[in-house]
Amino acid sequence: MAYHELEMRAVYGITLNELMDADPNVVCVEADLSKASGTNPEVAKKHPANFVNVGVAEANMISVGAGLAAEGKIPFCASFTCFASRRVYDQITISVAYANNNVKVVGTAPGITAGPNGGTHMCFQDLAIMRAMPNMHVYSPCDVYELRAVLRHMARSGKPTYMQLIRPKMPKLFDDGCAFDPERAVVLRPGTQVTLVSTGYMTPFALDAAKNLATAGVDVELLHYPSVKPFDAATLIASARKTGRVVTVENQNIIGGLGGAVCEVLCENHPVPVKRLGVPDRFGEVATEKYLFDKHGFGTPHIVDACRRMAGRCA
Amino acid sequence: MNTFVATSPEFNQAEYDRLAAQFRYVITDIICRAGSGHLGGALSLVEIVLTLYGRVMRVEPANPKWADRDRLVLSKGHAAPVLYAALAWKGFFPASWLPTMNADGTRLPSHADARTVPGIDMTTGSLGQGLSAACGIALAGRMNGKTYRTFCIIGDGESNEGQNWEAAMFAAHRKLDTLTAICDYNQLQIDGTTHEVLELEPLADKWRSFGWEVFEMNGHDWDDIHHTIQRAAQVKGRPGMIIAHTVKSKGHPLTENKPESHNIKVPNEAAYRKYMACFADSGVTAPY
Repeated sequence: MAYHELEMRAVYGITLNELMDADPNVVCVEADLSKASGTNPEVAKKHPANFVNVGVAEANMISVGAGLAAEGKIPFCASFTCFASRRVYDQITISVAYANNNVKVVGTAPGITAGPNGGTHMCFQDLAIMRAMPNMHVYSPCDVYELRAVLRHMARSGKPTYMQLIRPKMPKLFDDGCAFDPERAVVLRPGTQVTLVSTGYMTPFALDAAKNLATAGVDVELLHYPSVKPFDAATLIASARKTGRVVTVENQNIIGGLGGAVCEVLCENHPVPVKRLGVPDRFGEVATEKYLFDKHGFGTPHIVDACRRMAGRCA
Repeated sequence: MNTFVATSPEFNQAEYDRLAAQFRYVITDIICRAGSGHLGGALSLVEIVLTLYGRVMRVEPANPKWADRDRLVLSKGHAAPVLYAALAWKGFFPASWLPTMNADGTRLPSHADARTVPGIDMTTGSLGQGLSAACGIALAGRMNGKTYRTFCIIGDGESNEGQNWEAAMFAAHRKLDTLTAICDYNQLQIDGTTHEVLELEPLADKWRSFGWEVFEMNGHDWDDIHHTIQRAAQVKGRPGMIIAHTVKSKGHPLTENKPESHNIKVPNEAAYRKYMACFADSGVTAPY
């Protein structure tokens, strides 16, 4: 199977193994969801001494990670986004970010990709709450190559970090040479009329929308942010100066996440009209992706529509 | 220049008694100077922390990150004043830092902070997280082939936090026998006795049933503390829990064994004199 045909979680496990081969200090910490994270049997079998399953105890997982990190280990602690972020927000705040322990928190199945697990498991605020925490880096890679580059960066960064891990296959957007710099957004398409900003799961949809719009004569500049924090303000401001119109799209509540970051930067530096797409301050529910996209208005057609409106092509 | 009470290389009870009295003076003084602070839960730990740093733990004050040192996680981070006194006594930082606790820009905040205080192994203050962190430290020691011991002091009120019991299962499952936890069982928490607020009993049985080797000791008796910690360190195949029977605000008659000792308010000079009055005839002075 070609690399880009692998599930994202498979690449998570494969990459952790590669990182452990290179540095025995890398540790995989799981809370009874190791199969869902893609580390079992992949990592559990190849590096059993560096594989720690704490059971269904996410709070313990984060603070054990802090203790490991205090001793020079580089723990990657994974669970569903809801349990890896909001459930353990205080543990991450104090044991990790405040204490400055080099823990990597991995939130799997972000946003609507929690699918059949429904509203209890659909976390739409993890980017927002993690971004609001001092001393945290917050990443959301969108394909296997970028995921690998992000993980390699995390293993050597020395920074407390939260990363969204999309579990299924994702469309190939990058290639083997993909590099990751948390200070830099990726200009996936240059354009002049509307700036479209996306991250993580929504980037392939945003790219489809940008292509559709090009066919219809709307020239969209697509900025992909694999790092929501630190946030590359310069690229956004330069783009907004050029286009004067910005649309954001994320697999999150529109409050406080990527759209929030964009608005903060633009308000203070170059105010232009912004339309935020995502979940409009609602909880999730058991449903198909299409149903949720249509209900909340952030699938490809909705992105197209928002950009066209922004470009002044529609009423 | 004032200094800490001198101690002989061999344990001498009279010296340690004087040193403990001086620790109590220091803890009360720096809390009073700060205007408020967690007095009771620091004073209940004086003999235990003094024994750890004076007679048990291998540390190198000149090299606080020495890889083979024994670790201590003060999970009840609000008891930091007793830890600060011990670290200053050992020489991790100058005693002149002590009266700066909680002052603007201080390196000694009210809760134990590994980022700013040499000799502190884990930042704590949000209750319930320290035992988990101690598990991580002990586990890393095993992974790294180190033989250091990891000590963790938790509070009895803190034991209400469910995360302790997640860590309890984890430590037993992983057979973390380099981990020794000590519960400061003074039986008082903020809102009253531990029996009124949330009953911990049967506490020893709880830990035993979680797979720990359990010991009990008088947390103010030098010999009992030393012997019990030594015995706990010899346990193989399971972590050790020492339930330390203590008295909150021990040695401070005005607040001893009173829930109000948890966090005292010292708004003015009169209050300062009131809280310090018990030391007037003690013969001990501040080391700063």
